[in-house]
Amino acid sequence: MVTDTNQIQARTVLQAHQVRKSFGSKLNSTEVLKGINLQVREGEFVGIMGPSGAGKTTLLNVLATIDRPTSGTIMIDGQETSKMKDAQLSTFRRDKLGFIFQDYNLLDTLTVKENILLPASLGGLSKKAAEEQFNDIAGILGIKEHGHKYPHEISGGQKQRTSAARALVNQPSMVFADEPTGALDSKSAAALLGTLEDVNKSRGVTIMMVTHDAVASSYCNRVIFLKDGAMYSELYRGDKQRQAFFQDILNVQAVLGGDRVDAR
Amino acid sequence: MTLADLVLRSMRKNLKHYYLYFFALIFGVTLFFIFSTLQHDHAVMEETALSAKMASGFQAATVLLFAILLIFVTYANDLFLKRRSREIGLYQLVGLTKAGVTRLLIIENALLGAGALVIGIGAGLLVSRLFLLLLMKLVGYSGFVNLTFSPQAFVETVVVFAVLIVITSFRMFWKVRKSNLIDLFNDERKDEHPKHPKPLRSGFLGLLGLAMIITGYWFANSSYMLNMFLMLNMLLVLALVITGTYLVFRVTIGWFLTLIRRRKNGHIGLPGALSIAPLMHRMKANAKSLTVITTLSAMTLAMIGFAYSLYYSTEQETRAVIPHDFMFDEMEQGAALPPEEAAEQFSAELDKAGIGYESAPLTYITTVGSFSGDNLPDILGLEGRTLEALLFDAGQLRASGLDVREPQKGEAVLHDSSISWVMKDSSFPFTATLAAGEEKAELNVEQLGEGDVASGWPGVLTQLVVDGDTYSRLAAAAPPEALHTVVAFNLTDKDDLKEASELFRQFEPGDFKADYFASYEDAIASNGIIIFITGFLGLAFLVSTGSILYFKQMGEAEQEKRSYTTLRQLGFKTGEIMKGIRRKQTFVFGIPLLIGIAHSIFAIKSVSIFFMTTDIKLPVAIAMTAYALIYLVFAFLTIGYYRKMVRAAL
Repeated sequence: MVTDTNQIQARTVLQAHQVRKSFGSKLNSTEVLKGINLQVREGEFVGIMGPSGAGKTTLLNVLATIDRPTSGTIMIDGQETSKMKDAQLSTFRRDKLGFIFQDYNLLDTLTVKENILLPASLGGLSKKAAEEQFNDIAGILGIKEHGHKYPHEISGGQKQRTSAARALVNQPSMVFADEPTGALDSKSAAALLGTLEDVNKSRGVTIMMVTHDAVASSYCNRVIFLKDGAMYSELYRGDKQRQAFFQDILNVQAVLGGDRVDAR
Repeated sequence: MTLADLVLRSMRKNLKHYYLYFFALIFGVTLFFIFSTLQHDHAVMEETALSAKMASGFQAATVLLFAILLIFVTYANDLFLKRRSREIGLYQLVGLTKAGVTRLLIIENALLGAGALVIGIGAGLLVSRLFLLLLMKLVGYSGFVNLTFSPQAFVETVVVFAVLIVITSFRMFWKVRKSNLIDLFNDERKDEHPKHPKPLRSGFLGLLGLAMIITGYWFANSSYMLNMFLMLNMLLVLALVITGTYLVFRVTIGWFLTLIRRRKNGHIGLPGALSIAPLMHRMKANAKSLTVITTLSAMTLAMIGFAYSLYYSTEQETRAVIPHDFMFDEMEQGAALPPEEAAEQFSAELDKAGIGYESAPLTYITTVGSFSGDNLPDILGLEGRTLEALLFDAGQLRASGLDVREPQKGEAVLHDSSISWVMKDSSFPFTATLAAGEEKAELNVEQLGEGDVASGWPGVLTQLVVDGDTYSRLAAAAPPEALHTVVAFNLTDKDDLKEASELFRQFEPGDFKADYFASYEDAIASNGIIIFITGFLGLAFLVSTGSILYFKQMGEAEQEKRSYTTLRQLGFKTGEIMKGIRRKQTFVFGIPLLIGIAHSIFAIKSVSIFFMTTDIKLPVAIAMTAYALIYLVFAFLTIGYYRKMVRAAL
């Protein structure tokens, strides 16, 4: 494996230790995550891949504090989120984390601008600062001129960029993206991933993205493969071209198992 | 799995949607059954001697109750059917035929209806005694009345609710029949996308709506209302106000919120995102039902406000017409004895019974004359007409225990309970020119006195109270047939009224009542029945409108569930989300209530002329507060439902 020396110098943003997650009752439970250890450093763009049922989304939800681990510890930005109470977690999510969902999860009754500014409303950001943030991020994502439109009036790609802008507006320590390209056509997907890559580089935003799409994960600088709830392998992009990295990913996938194309 | 299993399962699953509907149905059945029982129970009618009034009142009430239940049940059923359209589609998708689905729904509906019927009648049997006691208390009856089970009421209730179930079942059958799968799967999501309103058009229509309501209010209370086109005018007011209300819901509120929202320029915040935005979005679709709810609320409020005012003012209003406890008047038709003699006998009877009283003979003159003044109400047509007026001496009235002002010489105070509603302060002063025999007097009528001063010649209620000198001058000139005496009795202890009233009855000629107590008893009985009926009808209306709002909000909450999940994921706390939801519910429940109250206040204001001497602000306020408090229960239930949903969203 190639180690990226630049990344090692950076601060650790997320640290997961022996994270386990079971569903079901005590007698009849299924362990979905079987002791995951993971470290993400500031400015990383991490992809999580794996076949259906490998526990990708569960891992993301647990790390993103949307779900609680059954055991194990998770530290984000130096704070142990696995020990926090619900109310604390909410505040933490709002202040430190950003989310991009597969089906955008925009509020239909709000305009693009209102959707983007929503997390800023309780975050202690002044109106002026929020307005600046909006102009900045919406400018980068190319949706500024659509600010007054409702979600149903814009394309899927624009919706996902709105969702991305909403995730970024609070300048979070980390952004979690769950299959952000899942509902997009390949062109919109490429455009979105390009922007995410840009934002990651230019603003140093740490991103963790779950995807089943090798093309999507080739935009990352590290890809983690899960299988049956455990870490299977890990790939660093290093200085490779995206195309070369894509090939590496495909190779791991081939070893991982036949179902490369996972039905989502 | 058999159809019966399916029915049971789906009913269990839908129980949380049903329980309020079920409760409202039970409430309807119970009320219907009790009204019907009271209407048919002969014992009650005979013993209370209220038969005619009671039976017709309850009959009208059962018809109204049926009407509101029909509206409520069909409306609620439509809402449920719409919410369950996906489920219905799913049944068809897995191979159940349309007939099968219809059967499932109809069995469910029938079970629900039958359940409500059984529980409702059971509850009715249990609480009908309580209702009867309440009614007896309201009408002022203190005896003991036994209530028996009325088979007639039972049959009536069962038949009426069977009809209700058949009607709703038929609607279900029709709906399933004409539906197709793709519609069923999209029905829930069919709500419109948010739109950008056209500012000019919505501004115009928004203001028009407000203008229509205000015009309606103004017209209803203006002097143009009371003319020979009264019926037409009333329809016009109704049309103006209801259309205006619709426009307010459909356009004005949305327009107003748009203005607020535009000023926020995207910084709408979480509370705004959960109140302003969805309200704007749904106002259009909800305009019709909100108009219906507001109109119903206004109607109910006006009804109970008016009924309670009637009940509340009974004593004062009776006093206005019958100022003394008892009166003997020679002008009464068929009087066996001249008033002085009858009064003497009555005095003897009272003495014998040990009842303390004061009595004073009052004389009065029937005069002929005319009124003239710049501001006399047109509707009375007084100007230039020759009329009869009864002239009283202020001194004598005061001696009889009546608190009247002694007018200056040449001045008079008008007492007339029959026209007091149109006489305003601005109608005074006016000039009364009266003649008794050869003597003439020109009196300056300064003000309107409270109620009547004494009952006089039947049909002549215009009474003028003048100073002693003027009275003596006219009395001296008046021919003997124009001079009359009425003997007024006032008891020292009002607790003796009932006993005295019984003694008085033997002197009472014909049906002309000069017995305050008997009149009061009569009035309180009628008004008691009215408040009883309107009170419970109002409650039924309130429960239906409140439930409909609740059901609608339940539907909206389900549609917005995803938004709550997203918001929770983004890190908003339940409490923060609830703040926005509470703000929305304040609008959803508050606006129909406020507009309803405004409408009903103006409606009551225009009928307040029924009350001669009572200020009905207090009783109306009490009735409205009671209504609003019960109404608020539904708002709290709704907020509770939302809270559960938000909590479960993550």
